[in-house]
Amino acid sequence: MEVDLSKITLRPFKLEDADDFLLFAGDDQVTNYLRWQTLSSKQEALDHIKDVCIPHPWRRSICIDNCSIGFISIFPFSGEEDRFKANIGFGVAAKYWGHGIATKAVKMAVPQFFVDFPDVVRLEAFIDAQNLGSQRVVEKTGFQKEGMLRKYAYMKGKLRDMFIYTFLSTDLPANP
Amino acid sequence: MEVTSVVQLDQTKAKDEYPNLSLRPLQVSDVDDFMVWASDEKVTRFCTWEPYTNKEDGLNYIKNIVVPHPWLRAICIDDRPVGAISVSANSGNDKCRGELGYVLASKYWGKGIVTRAVKMVVDTIFVEWPHLERLEALVDVENVGSQRVLEKAGFQREGVLRKYFIVKGRSRDRVMFSFLSTDYQS
Repeated sequence: MEVDLSKITLRPFKLEDADDFLLFAGDDQVTNYLRWQTLSSKQEALDHIKDVCIPHPWRRSICIDNCSIGFISIFPFSGEEDRFKANIGFGVAAKYWGHGIATKAVKMAVPQFFVDFPDVVRLEAFIDAQNLGSQRVVEKTGFQKEGMLRKYAYMKGKLRDMFIYTFLSTDLPANP
Repeated sequence: MEVTSVVQLDQTKAKDEYPNLSLRPLQVSDVDDFMVWASDEKVTRFCTWEPYTNKEDGLNYIKNIVVPHPWLRAICIDDRPVGAISVSANSGNDKCRGELGYVLASKYWGKGIVTRAVKMVVDTIFVEWPHLERLEALVDVENVGSQRVLEKAGFQREGVLRKYFIVKGRSRDRVMFSFLSTDYQS
């Protein structure tokens, strides 16, 4: 399959994306390293879009020809002490893996997010030590690996080692 | 903790110097001892909080934060508090993780007291909290004394978290250390 990366766009989710959403959110391969439970019906997809994607502070559908094939989610923390920090997660439908789509999408998302949330200084990605694909995505996008956090948290019932990567607002290239 | 020019000798000297080091709950009746370290700018330099300026605030802190805290102990010499050490608790998927914090009156710095207190906590917390897998601590990059405490207590340095906190208006880098229940050998 040839993928023209110039056709990758980001936009908010719509209820009409439910079938496409189910294709990746219903796939264990995609949700393996996510906190989400794998979805199993169109109704669940509709509910997830309505209850989670649409009200989310910053979640975008990764699209090819305006068709949803993945997501990027950036969640700013709340509270006086933490609101300068945020957390990023992403996923792409398995059939589109290996073409640099997630890398392209994250490269588009990060600068836009810092514009939309100017108080955020530190964008964190916690990536499972075994999730080599996602590690490569963030490395290629300019995140810095800060270290490995041993037995940091449970993910789907198992205790995981996680790499912590960050992109700071000060890491953005200076305005042209 | 301040880096002193006195070379720290082995731990047995500290034990001889302070044989009666113990940990116990911190109570409202300890407020005067609490104020000794809590009002000291040297002590609060790397803390997120400002020095306490009045006893009323100290009493409120002990009543509202210390007493209900999941795990907080006074570090005592001859049963008098000279500092405090605590482990925070998390819930859900983060339940495996607790964060260590400590503070010591500046007059007692440089004698290995906090290192001993940390070792005492490590000896007990994984037994008291069987669900705990990871004890972590975040130390300001400039707080070399505190980093040495954790290294001597057997913590592993995992990396520097850039601009992890904004403290008193400035962003600070923090060093992440951890001690796992599996690191522990009785």
